[in-house]
Amino acid sequence: MSRPFPYTYISCPCADTPVPEPGRKRKSTLSPQKPERTSVPAEDSQETQKEKDDDDEQEQEAQGEDEEEQTFDPRSPRSNFSLYPPEQLLYCEDCHQIKCPRCITEEIVSWYCPNCLFETPSSMVKSDGNRCGRNCFNCPACTAPLAVSAIENMAGNATQQGPWVLSCGYCLWTTLDIGIKFDKPTNIRSQLQKMTDSTAPASFDRKPSRTFGDLKSPLATFSSIDEQSNARHEEDPDQSAHKEDSAPPLGAEARFAALKSFYRTQINETSNSPSDPLSSEFGFSSPGALNRLMSLYASSSRLGGLYGSGNKKPKSKPPVMREALTASEGLRIADSLAEVEVIERLASADCGWNGVASADQRTEQSPDVRFVDDLLPLPVLLRTKRAKRCKPCKHILVKPETKPQSTRFRIRLIALSYIPLPTLRPLAFPSSSSVVSPTVPAPDLTALPPLRPIHVLLNLKNHMFDPVRITLATPSVTPGRVSSKVTVLCPQFEIGANSDVWDEALQGAEAPIADSRSATLRGGEKVPEAGKVWDKGRNWTTVVLEVVPGTLPGTDPLSQGGADDGQSPALPDEDVLEIPVFVHMEWEAEVQLEQQNVGKSSKPDDLVTRELAYWMVLGVGRIQAGL
Amino acid sequence: MASANPSSDTKRTTATVSSGLRQSQTVRPSPPQTPQQQLRSGSFTSTSPGSSFRNEDDAIIFEIGARWLRAGFEGNGTPMCVLGIGPEESRRAGDYRGWIEGKADAAPPSHPVNAEDWTRTYELWRPNLRDVDLGLVEDKIERLFRDTYNQYLLTDAGVSRLVLVLPSLIPHPLLSSLLTTLFSRWRFPSITLLSSATMSATAAGLRSALVVDLGWAETTVTGIYEYREITTKRSMRAMKSVLQEMGRLLTSLASGDPEKPSADEISVGFAYCEGVTSRLAWCKSQAGDEAMDELSSKTVSIPSPTHPEQEYTDVPFSRLAEPVEKVLIAPGVPEDEFDDEENSIPLLVYNTLLALRPDTRGTCMSRIVFVGGGARIPGLRQRIIHEVSLLIDRHGWTPVRGKALERQRQRLRELRLATEKQASNREPEQPASADASSSTDGERPGLSKEEPELDFVEQKLRRQNKDIPVPKQGVLREVESLGAWAGASLATSLKIRGMVEIDREKFLQHGLAGATRDSEPPVPDRRSGLRAGGDRSSWTLAGWA
Repeated sequence: MSRPFPYTYISCPCADTPVPEPGRKRKSTLSPQKPERTSVPAEDSQETQKEKDDDDEQEQEAQGEDEEEQTFDPRSPRSNFSLYPPEQLLYCEDCHQIKCPRCITEEIVSWYCPNCLFETPSSMVKSDGNRCGRNCFNCPACTAPLAVSAIENMAGNATQQGPWVLSCGYCLWTTLDIGIKFDKPTNIRSQLQKMTDSTAPASFDRKPSRTFGDLKSPLATFSSIDEQSNARHEEDPDQSAHKEDSAPPLGAEARFAALKSFYRTQINETSNSPSDPLSSEFGFSSPGALNRLMSLYASSSRLGGLYGSGNKKPKSKPPVMREALTASEGLRIADSLAEVEVIERLASADCGWNGVASADQRTEQSPDVRFVDDLLPLPVLLRTKRAKRCKPCKHILVKPETKPQSTRFRIRLIALSYIPLPTLRPLAFPSSSSVVSPTVPAPDLTALPPLRPIHVLLNLKNHMFDPVRITLATPSVTPGRVSSKVTVLCPQFEIGANSDVWDEALQGAEAPIADSRSATLRGGEKVPEAGKVWDKGRNWTTVVLEVVPGTLPGTDPLSQGGADDGQSPALPDEDVLEIPVFVHMEWEAEVQLEQQNVGKSSKPDDLVTRELAYWMVLGVGRIQAGL
Repeated sequence: MASANPSSDTKRTTATVSSGLRQSQTVRPSPPQTPQQQLRSGSFTSTSPGSSFRNEDDAIIFEIGARWLRAGFEGNGTPMCVLGIGPEESRRAGDYRGWIEGKADAAPPSHPVNAEDWTRTYELWRPNLRDVDLGLVEDKIERLFRDTYNQYLLTDAGVSRLVLVLPSLIPHPLLSSLLTTLFSRWRFPSITLLSSATMSATAAGLRSALVVDLGWAETTVTGIYEYREITTKRSMRAMKSVLQEMGRLLTSLASGDPEKPSADEISVGFAYCEGVTSRLAWCKSQAGDEAMDELSSKTVSIPSPTHPEQEYTDVPFSRLAEPVEKVLIAPGVPEDEFDDEENSIPLLVYNTLLALRPDTRGTCMSRIVFVGGGARIPGLRQRIIHEVSLLIDRHGWTPVRGKALERQRQRLRELRLATEKQASNREPEQPASADASSSTDGERPGLSKEEPELDFVEQKLRRQNKDIPVPKQGVLREVESLGAWAGASLATSLKIRGMVEIDREKFLQHGLAGATRDSEPPVPDRRSGLRAGGDRSSWTLAGWA
């Protein structure tokens, strides 16, 4: 739709044969408004293991036929997920089927940074957090790439010494805005990491060192526990305020690390019973657990059983996993003062709208970030080169070269080598309009007057080495509220083989050239006729579609005088005139691996008739609101 | 194990004790393995138990909701990516309008839109599935996951284990669609479901909590005790309504007549409105706060609702607090006017606490965790806590209301005063503890007689467990959580196995119906489910059933 008119889309046939088969059938049986389980229909619908496959497929086909009978609706929101520009589709030679990104599987061949085009070895990808580990950064404010530059006014010496900053060439953001300078122009990422670890204001990110230090030092642990035990006598705000004073709140990553080590120690402490070899990492030993259970049920005094108090079995008292109690263990009591500060800052004049990070900016950052001052430069996200395989047959469809600099492919089976490339262009208004000079024939496709017939030329160009028979079918009226009438003037035709250009020039040079010449000569006089091909070339054929654009709802002056009140105004993009066309192609392919002998006369023995059918959507233009 | 709550009192019933034990066992893997279990699992399937768990890549964790998707690897503190869901994500391939024309959704729509339709394209699903095309949801999920893998996770999809963090009340057709899509599109060996509320509590370092999820379509308040969801209550007052209300406010600003009660139509762009909400929406911490009043007199300039790209308009700062307050807190509306599904958030929190048993309540109320998009709105959390404390002051912990009751209480109070006068000569009474029902009951004198005995046990216990700090209890307190995603990452990286682990083959055979019927599967089954390397002959949907 956003593509310039006219355009063509091809619907991948995988949309007609839905992949999640049990789900599809279940949905037809199970009414979605029942959230509770209805087990019976779901059960019989989902028995799609191998032995059931055939049955299901047959039913599926039956369903598919049902669906095909109702025409493809380019307006349905689901169609957006199955329509692809023809050049984005692939073709599997084993399945003889069009393949879209939904019906392939992908395997990563290599990782590289799109900025510096350096390949990242797979072992480094994860440790680098899927981001470039070198000097490539994106601007946190506008996502443009940042450049490493020296601060010039620092010293006048020519050798670019002195501190370095990252600066954005687009929005003029620099790391100076957040108070970060670098000592070296290289290895910026590790420098940045160190800085964000240590400096106080920008330290919302990673600070595991402090946390671990706290945990390891026994003194710190004791003191914090004391603190906590005092806390239950004290008032809460005092406590938290005291804590906030002593240490700045941990950032998300640091808190996470603290929590993780806390849970680790808890699990270790509670599961270090020597009698159990199994619970190496977690859980209690099973005999222990059983013992405890038994003692629970046996003991008359519950409290004794629970707490191991009394004189009963002090040794069987299990160590108890507890919750985090101190900040160093990852607990964070909400701080109401901080919130008030945030509100005051929001209201203050120096912050305002532009001082707050937008939602887009925040999604890329650590979750604590709220203000623009907290934004950190973002290392560039890596990209991948991926090999693609057909999902059912695992045949490789695309295999790129590993090197990031290379744009070549080792294997690439694009669909356009197998299906005819559709192109669309408008024809001048038919003779009903007054004399139009042949140089400005085309109607304005972005404002088609409703109810006035136009002709569009659909050109199909064959890239196969076999001639193809094509049958086109369209609904006579396009689906949706804007019902435009469509007629394919010549629905059945043939397209020649993509033979050698020289063959054509040498053998039948006269006919096609004369043909096209005559067409151009006749120009405006040539009248589209039903049942006749408009034009034909070596490996292409053009046919005419006659289209009468419908009227937009709400602006309909002619029909439905009484029904107007039910009509809501046109939805966005409802005025786009799109024609679903069902394409059925049939050709005699030679049996595999004998594609070289193109010019030979066909021997019927080693020929196979192949056919392929798919829906295509032709975007003609936008319909004008009024007449 | 149940002694994780050592200060619990003698009021606890046997049932509570045993259930408390079971609860703690549900999450902490403490499997007493019985030989019978192993036999059964061994004979049932041939899949090797340990292979699917240990020697494998890091599991990938997705937290998916109606508006946002978070994805990343286990053991990371923050997700690799946070993706919003909007109309741009459901465009055709090759449709670059979002890039060419700039964000179309920032500009106001051509004509006013109904508030429901206004949000529709920005939701992956809505809780009422009647008007949701599940096929479309599947398409969107497929593209979303594919893009996430290709752009952010940069690993081959379907190779490693997948962990989904979901709210425990997700409609079954939706859950089924989600799982079917994932299983049939990629070859995930297994998908583990984790409950988002429990994971939020885990990410706060807690074992029991009251998780308030201020989500998109609804706010849920979940009481969690020892990692187990006890109660859930929900309300339609959530961020969607806040956004719609903000849209109405901005619409009325745009029309130049701020006092005009706008109709249910919104004529500002969704993204613009969301931007305003996420940047500047706030909430007064208390109803009548002088400092806040002072703030309210200020104005801020925001991009003009009609031409967000070009000009700015000045808005009183206090007005930006209105939508949040009006929708979530609903001040001035009597409680009995709320419908069941639209309780205000403080009332919802209070009701959930009320529905918990007293000891659980005491534990949960001092561990209130706010998550979800609304938790970011400054001031809102304090306000909710404040309002809840007012509610507690007003009603105590009794669900009974009414005038006759008031009169009776008054009488009882007088009676008690009289008896207290007599009693005060003999023994000084303990002041009521903060959480105990300080307001009312007629049995109050009887209770207070038992208290010294109770304290004696408690004190003894405390003397014994001197080094074990007593958990905080009975005071309203808010604990910050890292969010459900981080919790899941934490739990997964600690090799804690989820209750619901759905095996690929088994799901493809039977779908959701293949799960064990019981929502409360028998205990041995559950333990086997928690075995570290154990195989499960049957799988359960546990909380999702």
